[in-house]
Amino acid sequence: MKLSPPTTAFEPAGEEPAWTPAPPPRRRRPWPIRLLRHPFAWLVLLPTVLAIVYFYLVAAPQYVSEARFVVRSRAEAPQPSLGNMISAAVGGAGGLSTAAEAHSVRDFLLSHDAVARAQDKIDLIAIWQRTEADLLARLRHEEPERLTKYYNGMVTAQLDGLTGLLTLRARAFRPEDARAIATTLIELSESLVNRLSERAREDSLRVAREEVAIAERRVLESRAALTRFREEQQDLDSAGSVQAAVATIGGLETALAAVQAELRERMAFMRPDNPALQVTRNRVAALERQIEAERSRRTQGGGALAQQLAGFERLMLERDFADRQLASATASLEGARMEAQRQQMYLARVVEPNLAVYPLYPRKLISVGSIFLGLSVAFGIGWLLVAGMREHAA
Amino acid sequence: MSGAVTRTGLVDAARMQLRVIGALVIREMHTRFGRQRLGYLWLFAEPLLLGGVIALLHGASGGEGIRSSFEFFSIGFMLFQLLRGIVSRAPNTINANQTLLYHRQVTLPDLFFARHAIELAASAGVMALFVVAGIAMGGAAPDQPVKMILALVLMLLLAQGIAFMVGSITSEFEAAGYFVQIATFGIMPICGLMFMVEWLPPDWQEVALWMPTVHLFELMRDGQFGEQFRTFYDLSYIGWWIIGPHLLGLAGLRIARARVGLE
Repeated sequence: MKLSPPTTAFEPAGEEPAWTPAPPPRRRRPWPIRLLRHPFAWLVLLPTVLAIVYFYLVAAPQYVSEARFVVRSRAEAPQPSLGNMISAAVGGAGGLSTAAEAHSVRDFLLSHDAVARAQDKIDLIAIWQRTEADLLARLRHEEPERLTKYYNGMVTAQLDGLTGLLTLRARAFRPEDARAIATTLIELSESLVNRLSERAREDSLRVAREEVAIAERRVLESRAALTRFREEQQDLDSAGSVQAAVATIGGLETALAAVQAELRERMAFMRPDNPALQVTRNRVAALERQIEAERSRRTQGGGALAQQLAGFERLMLERDFADRQLASATASLEGARMEAQRQQMYLARVVEPNLAVYPLYPRKLISVGSIFLGLSVAFGIGWLLVAGMREHAA
Repeated sequence: MSGAVTRTGLVDAARMQLRVIGALVIREMHTRFGRQRLGYLWLFAEPLLLGGVIALLHGASGGEGIRSSFEFFSIGFMLFQLLRGIVSRAPNTINANQTLLYHRQVTLPDLFFARHAIELAASAGVMALFVVAGIAMGGAAPDQPVKMILALVLMLLLAQGIAFMVGSITSEFEAAGYFVQIATFGIMPICGLMFMVEWLPPDWQEVALWMPTVHLFELMRDGQFGEQFRTFYDLSYIGWWIIGPHLLGLAGLRIARARVGLE
């Protein structure tokens, strides 16, 4: 079973010169030599030894800084109202939207955007190229894409789907570097959450604000139109003028009725050419003319009181409507403001980034163990397959 | 391990093994389909009918969006068919071909390799047919076909490891074969064919991801639908599931070979 050419490589290096002239049968060789000549040594033990050398002697210690935080909205706080209780019983939609926020924060943390922003604030490239970093673990390429790839190896963000708790872990070659990365990333997430929250707030308030502005403009316009109307008609209160006019005509008609009664009474006992009768007749005629004139003045022609009243009432109605619209728009703005206040998202830190004392990474024993185990199993399969193959030739 | 066999000897042996497997494939095809009228076409007709019926049933039963789509079940079923075909035929592989073992060149793994090659050809061929049919019916073309092919290959390896183990166990305890038949159907609802991990509640997602086949279905759907869905898979986890059963199965077959030869 020789997969590699160790035979030729090892023969000259054999430590026992006494054996070379007459090599005894293979079985006699001491077990270390036999082990070294076996492919297992080359394919499994050698890589494992290399891994041990690397992990225990070469690899630079990596410190981990861990932070946990949640993305919350005030809407989740229990509010003693029937509507909230019902929606909570049906399955609170507020919690779901918060989970969505937490997802977007997680995705942001693993994105090139977060890398670029963090690079602007603290020099990530310098942090991962410190002198103490070993050749294999250090950052070798500074292009943004490769930096992002390396970053994704060094920074993890895990989201607990049930509680919405985000766990952020950052690794670096110095404890304070790891903490700086974690702190910066939390700050970036915080500003992202604030940005998203601000945006949602602005969106919901903008419509209400526009409504209020429209209502205000309408109120002002209706007042201005009323004033202009009053100036044009030189009349403060058209409704009052109408009442006054009605009263005048009523008075005239009362007087006319009284004079007509007096005329009839006098005609009963006076001669028709009596001058007193003539005077009364003149008064009746004068009163009738006056009533006629009053009526036509109030109801006919451009400046007639009827037209004036119609215009006045329209403007008053417009003013009332505008007032009412403004009141309702203001109320809905108030509601929207409270709603926005309630829905505001914020990032709550549960665990602040720590300053590591002991380097948790690289995981020496697990790495070496899994390399050894994986290679052994692969070797076993390979050996079985090759042995099966050999049977064909035998 | 005499050491006399050199590198060229190994290459010769490998070539010989390939020839043996090729001959076994032809023999297997002949014993399975040779007498039927359609001949070798049955190899494709059987999974085609099964997959088509299942996809149409699910399509007719309604459901939202992708859950009822033809591609989801027809192509997914082919991946399952590969696993089912290989594992459910594993118990009688040794029995059916016992006479062949009198030839020195035929080894137990060869019998399995030949059957697996046939199953892979059937599943991959029908899957390609379904992909074309899906596109013809107005569906989108696969996003990354490489991932679908990778899923097929990994499923082949996973099933192969399990088949080795099943074969070596059933050569000793024949009754175990019945459990395998039941298990290959019982696994259907939980193997990942019917669901995507994204649809499950979070705590069930973790449970589902213990199942190695779920990772493979996720991998294939990642290649099939691309970014439309979130997929969860871990290739190293599948890797352990492949090499573990391979080691145990191949070792088991070596033991079985010695016992089978005695009969």
